[in-house]
Amino acid sequence: MTFDLNRSEDQRRILDAADGLLDQSYPLSRLRTSQSDDLGPLAAFGAFSLALPEETGGAGFSAVEEALVHVALGRHVVTTRALATALAARLALSLSRADLASRFADGSLAACAAVRDGDAILLFESAGTGDRAGPALLFDGRELALVEPDTARAERLPGLGHGPDVLRVADSSATVPGRTGDAGMLAAADLLVSAQLLGIAEATRDLAVAYAQVRHQFGRPIGAFQAIKHRCADMALAAEAASSLLDFAAVAVAEARADAPFQVAALRRLAARAALENARACIQIHGGIGFSAEADAHHFLKRAHLLSRLGGAPALLDLPAPLAPHRTVAERS
Amino acid sequence: MDLRFTEEERAFRAEVRGFIDRTLPDETRARMASGRTPTKEQWGWWHGKLYERGWSVPDWAKEHGGPGWTPVQRFIFREELQQAPAPQPQQFGTMMVGPVIIAFGTDPQKRRFLSGIRSGKDWWCQGFSEPGAGSDLASLKTSAKRVDDHYIVNGQKTWTTLAHWADWIFALVRTDPNAPKKQEGIGFLLIDMKSPGITVRPIKNMAGVSHFAEVFYDDVRIPLSNVVGALDDGWRVAMTTLGFERKTAAMGLQLELSVRVEDLIALAAPRAGTATAERLADLRAEAAALRAMTYRALFRDPATASDGSLVRLHFAELSQRIHRAAMDILGPAALLGNGWTHDYLESYSETIAGGTAEIQRNIIAERILGLPREERS
Repeated sequence: MTFDLNRSEDQRRILDAADGLLDQSYPLSRLRTSQSDDLGPLAAFGAFSLALPEETGGAGFSAVEEALVHVALGRHVVTTRALATALAARLALSLSRADLASRFADGSLAACAAVRDGDAILLFESAGTGDRAGPALLFDGRELALVEPDTARAERLPGLGHGPDVLRVADSSATVPGRTGDAGMLAAADLLVSAQLLGIAEATRDLAVAYAQVRHQFGRPIGAFQAIKHRCADMALAAEAASSLLDFAAVAVAEARADAPFQVAALRRLAARAALENARACIQIHGGIGFSAEADAHHFLKRAHLLSRLGGAPALLDLPAPLAPHRTVAERS
Repeated sequence: MDLRFTEEERAFRAEVRGFIDRTLPDETRARMASGRTPTKEQWGWWHGKLYERGWSVPDWAKEHGGPGWTPVQRFIFREELQQAPAPQPQQFGTMMVGPVIIAFGTDPQKRRFLSGIRSGKDWWCQGFSEPGAGSDLASLKTSAKRVDDHYIVNGQKTWTTLAHWADWIFALVRTDPNAPKKQEGIGFLLIDMKSPGITVRPIKNMAGVSHFAEVFYDDVRIPLSNVVGALDDGWRVAMTTLGFERKTAAMGLQLELSVRVEDLIALAAPRAGTATAERLADLRAEAAALRAMTYRALFRDPATASDGSLVRLHFAELSQRIHRAAMDILGPAALLGNGWTHDYLESYSETIAGGTAEIQRNIIAERILGLPREERS
């Protein structure tokens, strides 16, 4: 083996399968109805156990394949419960809760994503409207926790732009089966969050380019004008930079390389920016229809905001750079 | 996907690093480290040492006197030169006109020119841009009129990097002014800089130094045997050259900016959470992405590799962002002449030379994204 950034046959096969499933079961058109995503097809695909070890019922794929699948999930704006459930399975396993892990892995139990808000917890896209919303994966700064919030006493808050309601529960009302600040677990979370953010950056690039080819003004496609095509080129660059870095980070995690924390931290920073910038540009390029709720563009923007708040960004400057300069500052000035 | 070097590749890196450490003079290293171009003597001497070792034309196949290295070996070699830092082999000969002569040249041209490029005896420069032909290069006007077995060349080239050091220039000239399309009727000529009728006027750039020059041609006689490719087919030949430039130039550049960002972080020593720390973290992430994009461009099959224009645009704009940050971090020293301010001023060329950022965006939008071409005459 040597340096090679081509996708292996296995990787291409699993990506093709994931794309097929997503196009069929999670087409973008579904976003125009207000129904929440059913995790069933993804569970049947094995999306929540992809990277779990085979001896625990997982498929034994590496961080690379799992990250690539989550890029596809991001492109389809699949509910963040998919991300939370995949991470919950892994967290439960690392906490020696094999019982819980296998229920997350086969999809019989789903987690929602949660973030801390002072002494309370905000739950996003939580399934439950009754007493129990089920478990939540809490992104708590640079820690991850599996919590069982008492949603009977939850406060129901309006979601961003009349999106799904957000539940607010007191931190003290949640029981905590487990919590970790383990670097490997956090790297896995950062990698998958970044992968979904990259999916947003890619999908909004493609939506904007497709629209710029069919929307005519002044007698030609708007994509013929430099004002539009150069913005599309910037979107392509943002997506390519994040995508190249995702490959690097995922391989570094899979090979347990020493520079893995650095690559993941750099990716997390870049992917969030690429997703937000491309989602914004996508709305602008769509013009009036982009501002309406009838086009798909706003879903990507809102998802980018949510994803970029899952977990505090790792402190990139605290990590050693993989390439220490041979030269010193004194030599330069 | 795999990011592991083999045992042989790691040994090769050690061999290259050992050679550089044993051979590279301290003065050359220090001058490179201060961000300046080496002197012609330093550069020529170093090229000669690489030639003796068989490493002066790293990208060439064995049959043309190259080392026949794998892409990974070529990459490692350039990374090590960049890290030292040591001069790269003289670029216009080894990376540009050499590969063109190998691809399009006649056997006599190969015999005449390739050995001088390998040894460094002949220094080359590139005569493409003209005062009236920048982004619209194909509108060039320098004329070559055929008289028997010669062309008589008249006109002016500009932004010719290191013209005052060069022995030879490869130039695009208008061989047929009546061709139906402006890209047709252009010839690719090899011109001896000592030919009567050539005048070189160095141009000082905004950083106060003269890398480039204007080159004037006044009835310069060039034998037809110095045309590469068919007489009027120079445009196609030249587009191939630019392709070589984008691909191989990217190898070392990514490391240069990574090192630059680390230097800047060390210089600023920012407190966590400050705006400066956030800005430097962004630059660090962008330099890491440039590295990953470069690797993807080199180590992925062409159809899905990073395109040269994407890598080039990211490099150019990141270089400027890094140096703008340096100007803010330096304080009053930003108003003095020093390595950082010199590089800051030099960085303005990055979004202009070798295809402006605007042209790169057109290429990305039209060739990669498939957006409609704008109307051009």
